[in-house]
Amino acid sequence: MSQVREPAFDRAVAMVLRVGAFSCFFVMLAGLFVGLFLPGPIPLGIERAGVLLMLATPVVRVVVACFLFFREKDWKYGWISLGVLVILLLGSVFGIGEH
Amino acid sequence: MLVSVLLIILGFFAGLLGALTGIGGGVLLTPVLALYFGIPIREAIGTSLVAVITTSAASSSIHLQRHTTDIRLGMTLELATAFGAAVTAYLVGYFNRNALEGLFAGFLLYSAITILTKGGKIRPEDESSPAVNGETVIPPYEPKRYPLGLSASLVAGALSGLLGIGGGPIKVPVMYLFMNVPLMVATATSNFMIGVTAAASAIVYYRRGDILVQLAAPLAVGVFMGSLLGARLAPRIHTKVVVYLLVGVMFYLAGHLLFHLLQGVI
Repeated sequence: MSQVREPAFDRAVAMVLRVGAFSCFFVMLAGLFVGLFLPGPIPLGIERAGVLLMLATPVVRVVVACFLFFREKDWKYGWISLGVLVILLLGSVFGIGEH
Repeated sequence: MLVSVLLIILGFFAGLLGALTGIGGGVLLTPVLALYFGIPIREAIGTSLVAVITTSAASSSIHLQRHTTDIRLGMTLELATAFGAAVTAYLVGYFNRNALEGLFAGFLLYSAITILTKGGKIRPEDESSPAVNGETVIPPYEPKRYPLGLSASLVAGALSGLLGIGGGPIKVPVMYLFMNVPLMVATATSNFMIGVTAAASAIVYYRRGDILVQLAAPLAVGVFMGSLLGARLAPRIHTKVVVYLLVGVMFYLAGHLLFHLLQGVI
């Protein structure tokens, strides 16, 4: 089963990653550029948005793959993807500002 | 300003070397940030994780277009890597600086040796597989020994959350040597998994305030450009020289980390 290639599936997931990486790149570049002229909280906020975009990209990738697996009625891998998603989301619930 | 330029250059070379050799490049960032930029090790790890996700996203979008990534295998092993990464990201506060630096030096040495010895392990059939009329041909395979693969992934994920790295030097040999996955697929799939693994721990670091946004931005910009260029150049460049360069840098950083560690002890 594993060696079956589905070009459309690959393309959809690749698209998520490309959009995420490119938008993060441009947002961070904008933050650095604005920072040249206007030091302070504004460029920092833009850069923070870039970091959040980057953190969100793999999460969105898992959501899309999960959706595609369930749509193909590939239940096993749909549930596996959902499990990965749960782990990612739990990480954002726990581990809040101590140490 | 000067620091930002240096970080863009650092990210660029880490991304370039990482994409050319398929090792990810994150392994260079944490020690350089800690040793030469004076960043506390935990912030260095958190910040490096953002660059690691960027490399993974940029390079695996290219691998996916070549259809060399096994998404199902990757997703399955991610259950273990993401779990390991989230747990150690949470526990990293209980490790002191010396323990982290020592572990990192050990991992650098292990990775350098893995890269150096990989040449001897190449199965002959892998050499003949690339590009037949533009399409990459992958021999049929069926991943085996999932329990072993999942255990190794758990370790790779745990180290990722602890050190801010991708963990490719653990996952690629395990998939290739033990799970019966062709090397090309193992490399692409490891690269693919790194994004989710690093995100699982980076989210925890971010919530704790251990990601330095003003350093992550120039690093990510540099890494993005470097890894895209590297992925384009990879088929055309004689990688042996690049591999030796990378291994040299890794040995140097490991030595410096150990030296730094000894200074702290004495």
